[in-house]
Amino acid sequence: MTTLRPQRTEQPRSWHSLVSAVEGQELVLIGVIVLLWVGLGVGTPTFLSGINIQNILFSVAPIALIGIGMTAVIVTGGIDVSVGSGVAVVMVVIGKMIEDQHIGLGPALLLAVLVGALLGVCNGVIIALTGISPIVVTFATLNLFRFLSLEIFGRGNIDGVPDTLGPVGGGGSGRFIGVPNAWWLSVLIAAAVWVYMRQRPSGRHWYAIGGDAGAARLAGVRVRHRVIAAYLLVGVLAGVAGCVLIGSGGTVQQNSGTGLELEVIAAVVIGGTSILGGRGTVLGTLLGTVLVGTVTSAVTILKWPSQLANLFVGIFVLLAVGTDVLRERRRRAL
Amino acid sequence: MSTDVDIEPATAQPAHARRSSVLRWLLTDRVALLIILLVILLVWFRALSVGDYLLAPFDATYLASNLAYFVPTFLLAIGEAFVIIGGRGGIDLSVGGTVSLVGIVFGYEYAFWNWPLWLAVLAAIAGGAALGAVNGLLIAVLRIPALIATLATSYAYSSIALTLHNSAPISTPRIQGLISLTGAVELPGLPAIPLQVLMIFLPAAVIAWFLLHRSTYGRRLYALGTNETAARFAAISVARTRFTAFLLSGALAGLVAFLTVAQFASAATDAGTSGAGMTLPAITVAVLGGVAISGGTGRVGGALLAALLVTWLNAGILLLFNNDQSSKLQLFALGGLLLLAALLNFFIGRFARRIR
Repeated sequence: MTTLRPQRTEQPRSWHSLVSAVEGQELVLIGVIVLLWVGLGVGTPTFLSGINIQNILFSVAPIALIGIGMTAVIVTGGIDVSVGSGVAVVMVVIGKMIEDQHIGLGPALLLAVLVGALLGVCNGVIIALTGISPIVVTFATLNLFRFLSLEIFGRGNIDGVPDTLGPVGGGGSGRFIGVPNAWWLSVLIAAAVWVYMRQRPSGRHWYAIGGDAGAARLAGVRVRHRVIAAYLLVGVLAGVAGCVLIGSGGTVQQNSGTGLELEVIAAVVIGGTSILGGRGTVLGTLLGTVLVGTVTSAVTILKWPSQLANLFVGIFVLLAVGTDVLRERRRRAL
Repeated sequence: MSTDVDIEPATAQPAHARRSSVLRWLLTDRVALLIILLVILLVWFRALSVGDYLLAPFDATYLASNLAYFVPTFLLAIGEAFVIIGGRGGIDLSVGGTVSLVGIVFGYEYAFWNWPLWLAVLAAIAGGAALGAVNGLLIAVLRIPALIATLATSYAYSSIALTLHNSAPISTPRIQGLISLTGAVELPGLPAIPLQVLMIFLPAAVIAWFLLHRSTYGRRLYALGTNETAARFAAISVARTRFTAFLLSGALAGLVAFLTVAQFASAATDAGTSGAGMTLPAITVAVLGGVAISGGTGRVGGALLAALLVTWLNAGILLLFNNDQSSKLQLFALGGLLLLAALLNFFIGRFARRIR
């Protein structure tokens, strides 16, 4: 996509423009979520209960966390399909360290972020320096990271990991004013990245690269640095997501994180980020994950076959992209 | 990387230029690279086998019996090749979901409704083509990016498949009888090869080769992937050509669905999606075979050699280590090969420009 959209590069200077920063897709998403919540709240006795909302928010927190980074990567015109395996590597390392070395919450989070960052930089450096298609590179690292996680996993099981990561987990200790800490963390990070991508020049560069990498380079953007930074961000957040996942059960399985990349990409796309790059917001991604969580929970509460949840996720992806394509066509027709 | 649209200069060249062009061919042509890798692989494992380092002999019989895993890999990779060559970010993430859904429907038709085999197989291919047509409609007509459209349909197909037959596999005696279709056949002078190599792989490979490299449709597809605007000005129906590519990918996945049911004597609701799934390996093999993700480049021969390389490498690894260790190393080999091929392309591309 090389279409210029100058209205999107304006800096919001007043409250009014801050409100207008909430874009079309996001308003639609908010509407759909409110409709679903009201409908399900009226239709079922349990949906709007505190515990169910907590469960929804907690269960989608890992997707939201990785989705924030994935938004940045997709905005630059890339993609990272290796995040599921990256999460597995982090979970195995952190699970083992807590079980064997009894490290505390702080060191565990720090180590997770470092491991995630390392994996992200691997992807970023290969993609930025060689110009090989991101999907090819991350398909390769998807397999390599999975091998790495199985290699560290070794034989036997990793279960009964001490509850060191409880504060970011799904238990009672992991809440603050009734909302899971993992969700607070996601919202905080999302807010920071949202401001960064909207206000900071280096954040705007991600959009410029996704719009037209060649033009961005000629305009003085350090394309390679910025691309590596995007993959670094998704790696770091995959690390945090790995901690949240360990905190919610204390077990690490050999297939942990399998297929997570597709869930994340689905949430990002439902949130209105263009897979072609150059357009998308973290706020939309957050709303997209809430919608996915709502649908999954609704299917359970309505006692439909649980496998149907993915069918609805698929339909929402198509609806989101379909409306986007139509809107784009109308904009061009004008 | 050479493409099919390159036109070789017909004029005679001086000797040193010819020598460097031979070197260039060896280094830049993916088929040459894959043949070299395949020879290294065979020699290395043969040496290990002779030195008695393996759990069982790595001989012609073993290689031939492993062709059973080569056939589905190749078919799905060819499907991916069609959609990727068509360009504009073409990719089909839904082949795993298609294999699951068509496979379980085949199970119903053949096991419960007692359809004759030929009808059930035709229905599987047609069903796969129909699911592929849904992708084609979304991508070629509605112009939704392929990555997203097939991600969505992959969710839809695999989710519908899982809700059928209460997620339980169908494995009646009639289905189990299908395994005879994948038995080995003895040919004079050759080790016994699985029947589907003759019955499915050979015709499919010939048809795919003809379609891509010898038919008007193939020329249109390469034109489309190389430069869509130019293709449109050349009066090529862009939407129809791309639609057909996705339809073909779906039909091939339908064929693989039948093959998988026969091979495992059971129609599982997650046949194409369990574990790592079938989609990622298929794309990996296609890319390893020289299909450029940007479209317009790729050959049937490359995909064939890549599928063969991956199959026999996996077979070799199985003999080298115990089961637990080897499934890990197969992941490593697949990822490593893909990255190696992509990096080799990158460095060789630079080198080739210098010696040109």
